[in-house]
Amino acid sequence: MTTATYQPTDRTATNRAATRPLATKSQNDTLRALPTTLRSEWIKLSTIRSNGAILALTIALNAVVSWAVANFVTDEGELFVDKVFAFSTLFTTVFAAIAGILIFSSEAQHGTLAPTLTAQPARLVTATAKTLIAASFGAALGVTGLIAGLVGAFASDIETGDASTMVVTSLWATLFVALASVLGLGIGMIARHSTAAISGLLIWWLVVENLLNVFIDARLARFLPFVAGNGLLQLDDPAASVGSLSIALTRTENALIFGGYATIALAIGTMLLSRRDTN
Amino acid sequence: MINVSGLTKNYGDRVAVDTMDFDVAAGKVTGFVGPNGAGKSTTMRMMVGLTRPDAGEVRYSGVKYTDLLHPARVVGSVLDARVMHPGRSARNHLRAMAAVSGIAPARVDEVLHTVGLETAAKQRAGGFSLGMRQRLALAGALLGDPEVLLLDEPANGLDPDGIRWLRNYLRDFADQGGTVFVSSHLISELSMFADDLVVIGGGRLVAADSLRNLTARNDVAVIVETPQPEDLVALLGTHDIANESTGDRLIIRGQTRAAVSQLAFDHRIRLTELTETSKSLEDTLLDMTSASAEFASA
Repeated sequence: MTTATYQPTDRTATNRAATRPLATKSQNDTLRALPTTLRSEWIKLSTIRSNGAILALTIALNAVVSWAVANFVTDEGELFVDKVFAFSTLFTTVFAAIAGILIFSSEAQHGTLAPTLTAQPARLVTATAKTLIAASFGAALGVTGLIAGLVGAFASDIETGDASTMVVTSLWATLFVALASVLGLGIGMIARHSTAAISGLLIWWLVVENLLNVFIDARLARFLPFVAGNGLLQLDDPAASVGSLSIALTRTENALIFGGYATIALAIGTMLLSRRDTN
Repeated sequence: MINVSGLTKNYGDRVAVDTMDFDVAAGKVTGFVGPNGAGKSTTMRMMVGLTRPDAGEVRYSGVKYTDLLHPARVVGSVLDARVMHPGRSARNHLRAMAAVSGIAPARVDEVLHTVGLETAAKQRAGGFSLGMRQRLALAGALLGDPEVLLLDEPANGLDPDGIRWLRNYLRDFADQGGTVFVSSHLISELSMFADDLVVIGGGRLVAADSLRNLTARNDVAVIVETPQPEDLVALLGTHDIANESTGDRLIIRGQTRAAVSQLAFDHRIRLTELTETSKSLEDTLLDMTSASAEFASA
């Protein structure tokens, strides 16, 4: 069974040659390979300093931004912890998308994809393991960012507000961050180049989409990926970014739209991984 | 052990590998030689499923690479020694490789010891020399204790001690029944330990034979200098002996020095120089592949 730990036996002279037919795999064996591939992906993720740096930045930025917003922002009316703690989720989402990109593009750039795929030729298994790792790391970033934001908000003097909404907001925010990481992974699989993928994503997110949001009809703008993603947080007036409350989408609809973009990017990336030759 | 049949790969109009057929035997070291751009790396990448062939297939004891239950436990491959994340330590690099094949983590330290990198286990690969990277890459190939080693230019960057160690290791691996398929542009180095050679040029198979047979193909030529070149050329012509004339000097092929000397003596032709030359294996292989060399020196 693929998941069993393999302990090679000591070789003695003239026993390397295959003396019996080589074992071939079945469809079930391919599926059983997922846990070992996941473990390998986890080792890769956890042994790179950049991911530790992203986690540390997420914690620091969320704590500082929440504390600063609570103390220094005065033009948003009265602020409460129940909103402020999730304000910097957008930063977390950017970090998660970058981490998702790097999960694949750094492998492609450093060539470590080749030994991965020679050990596990089933591309779909590798793509699935990377997706699960990206989503898990994104969710972990989301949760730690929210906790840091909560600490930063409580460190100021503002009131808690409606604590009952915080759990729901946290769940949607975590979903947004996890999906952003998966979207990043898909973009990384398509672009295969870290700088190109990261700059392309940021230019779209911070420049192109903001311009489109201004110039195109609000009915169309609500379907832009990060307009929909931000709609998951609903930190401000849900109709603010799309003009009118009547056309604002629900959180579930926004999740489906943003998740749809992530799924499409991932599907294209997986198809390219299967079809392209690996250098 | 390895059967390559009809392997073909095109990149647009360019034929990278053209209907390649050869076998690689178990218990032997098989060298894979050819000039730059001959298609060695493309062939090796197709052998481990990294490049999709347009036609043909590769089988390991009758099984396609992608159908192997545990590929890394059958075939250990190093196609590019530089492929490792610079920020990851040698041990963590191998841990990740071992995990994907379900290999026990304890094996990591064993292979680090085998390649002599145990003291560098915690160092980041970014600080490794090319020789150290070669050793680490080989350690990765050995993780699954495979039956086949498939190595692309494994001696690149190794110091003389490292090259000798590698040569002895691969020889020992083959002597234990393993299959070693190793590409190299250092033909003289390969000739020291390879049993068989697969020679390619321009994406085509030029020769696949034992080193002994290929060496036996070496041209022997006798160079003579004589004040009677016209007489000697006429004499050689009557005996159907191939020769090339350059003034007073002649290059006579297919004859030994003794035979040429006797022939000239019998016909009272004076020789002022009589030298027998033999091409090196490298010259022979270069001759075989020169027509297809993509990049040739002036």
